[in-house]
Amino acid sequence: MYLLLNKAKMKKSIYLSLFTLSTMFFIASCKHDDDTATPASTSTTYAAGEVTLEFDNIAGTTHLDVSGATNYTNGAGETFTVTKFKYYVSNVSLIKEDGSMYDVPDQVFLIDEADSNSISAVLENIPGGKYKGVEYTIGVDSARNVAGSQQGALDAANGMYWGWSSGFIFLKLEGVCPAAGGDFMYHIGGYKNSNNTNAQRRVHIDFDPSTLIVDGNKRETEVHMLVDVLEFFKNPINYSIVSNGTVMSPGGQAMTLASNYVDMFSFDHIHNDVK
Amino acid sequence: MSKNLYFCLTIVFAFAFLSSCKKSDDETTETPKPLFYVPDGFPAPSGQLQNNPVTTAGFTLGRKLFYDPVLSKDSTVHCGTCHQQFGAFAQVDHKVSHGINNLLGTRNSPTLINLAWHSEFFWDGGSNHIEVQPIGPITNPVEMDETLNGVIAKLNRSTFYPAMFRSAYGSDTITSQGILRALSQFMSCLISANSKYDQVRNGQTTFTATEDSGYTIFKSKCASCHKEPLLTDLSYRNNGLDAHFTDPGRARITTLAADSGKFKVPTLRNIVLSYPYMHDGRLSSISKVIDHYRSTIVQSSTIDPLLSSGNMSISDAEKAQLIAFLNTLTDQTFITDKRFSEQ
Repeated sequence: MYLLLNKAKMKKSIYLSLFTLSTMFFIASCKHDDDTATPASTSTTYAAGEVTLEFDNIAGTTHLDVSGATNYTNGAGETFTVTKFKYYVSNVSLIKEDGSMYDVPDQVFLIDEADSNSISAVLENIPGGKYKGVEYTIGVDSARNVAGSQQGALDAANGMYWGWSSGFIFLKLEGVCPAAGGDFMYHIGGYKNSNNTNAQRRVHIDFDPSTLIVDGNKRETEVHMLVDVLEFFKNPINYSIVSNGTVMSPGGQAMTLASNYVDMFSFDHIHNDVK
Repeated sequence: MSKNLYFCLTIVFAFAFLSSCKKSDDETTETPKPLFYVPDGFPAPSGQLQNNPVTTAGFTLGRKLFYDPVLSKDSTVHCGTCHQQFGAFAQVDHKVSHGINNLLGTRNSPTLINLAWHSEFFWDGGSNHIEVQPIGPITNPVEMDETLNGVIAKLNRSTFYPAMFRSAYGSDTITSQGILRALSQFMSCLISANSKYDQVRNGQTTFTATEDSGYTIFKSKCASCHKEPLLTDLSYRNNGLDAHFTDPGRARITTLAADSGKFKVPTLRNIVLSYPYMHDGRLSSISKVIDHYRSTIVQSSTIDPLLSSGNMSISDAEKAQLIAFLNTLTDQTFITDKRFSEQ
């Protein structure tokens, strides 16, 4: 025990001397900078901070109602209501003013219209600076699809996981369409490229003409996007619920609907005022 | 001084003696194997335990969950219902699995043997990780028809599960990951490697003449798919049961027409215990399975290349020898190991 304590003490003193040394170096290099560079007072530096992506789920021009009480009409002229709308957003990258990307590490978000807390995705520790856009994946990348049981947004208990054919359900849209005889269910997923069943889609959002400045907590940093459920049923394919009201496996119809869902997402506005 | 030296020497000798005693104990008596180990001559495991190392507490929790009907919607069916230890963790004499409310599945319960060497599960390989495999039967409407949140809620009401989770993971909080990882620890420890076949491989005993002839036939006619020592090559193959496939098999997962009618090659370990056979349990005995390979192979577009030349030539005498060999794959240690039984 005494030996251990001694070791700890020794470690402490080593750390202390290392710290002193590096501090000296740091001071020395600072001094050197001061000699040659322009005075710090005129350059603009931004501190790292959070960015909030808010997903405002809509149907056409109105806020999406997932209680099943509001009728909507799709491109095929079919009337339907919505009872569930959930999807994964992952692998977010912020696009800097110079076009380079900042990849946000290790954050996956499950957006669920029925859970108001979930529609704001908070990106942590974003480097300070100016950003002109954002990219993200609808779905979950293949590495996370083969990684066994997980927690948080990727907890299989969230109901966004297939037990019979392992992998995440990237997007769930459920509701009622009387013309189709009742309930419809779209569970879209699939992560494999080998047999062309990869339903991951990359969304690109321009903040144009706005620019988002991240500067610690000096400014609001909220990006609002619109997510239009009606676009799920059109562009590029006009989709009929009556013809196909149930899609619950990767490949085939899921690939058609994945092509449709990528353009549900559009830029609305940002809040970037100085607080 | 010399007294001290003698004392020291005595202690050294005593240690040497004790340790040599211990060694000979190990060699002569059957000490229980550790919960998870790699048997001699086995390849490296799949690596899916990498983030979930087996512990006694995790294994014990997994076993408790495996045998607890609370995993099913109406608390009537547990994993062990369709995976019985005496049947090498298959369901003996049931063509297809029986779920809650007497609902029938579509496939024969597979054995649970040496699963740590598998990286895909189910007859069609639909599950890509041992940790997520249990989600299949737990949520299947004709098996347990429960949700993970439903299971968590029931376990939270129990008087003992929170403490078992604390022992296994250091926290009372019951999570789906904790449930799934415990189940996969238990399943990974279901290791069968002490059949007569294994003992012969390890030089502990020898085959009878008949068994040995059977082994020769096995190596020439069966071992390319039922690859040693796991006795499966873990691939998906169409073994010529049908011309048209009511169950698409592997194609259900891959969506590829070329995979229609293909199913995972089952291990032959403990095979005589786990009747009936095939993905739908259509063949009731080993004798009928061998008869299939020697007389009823059906050609189709996805027939396995190794069977595309038609029926195998196996005489009645050879069939008897083959069956004698297949009987050497039964591992009594495995099916009677109390650690794997409901406690």
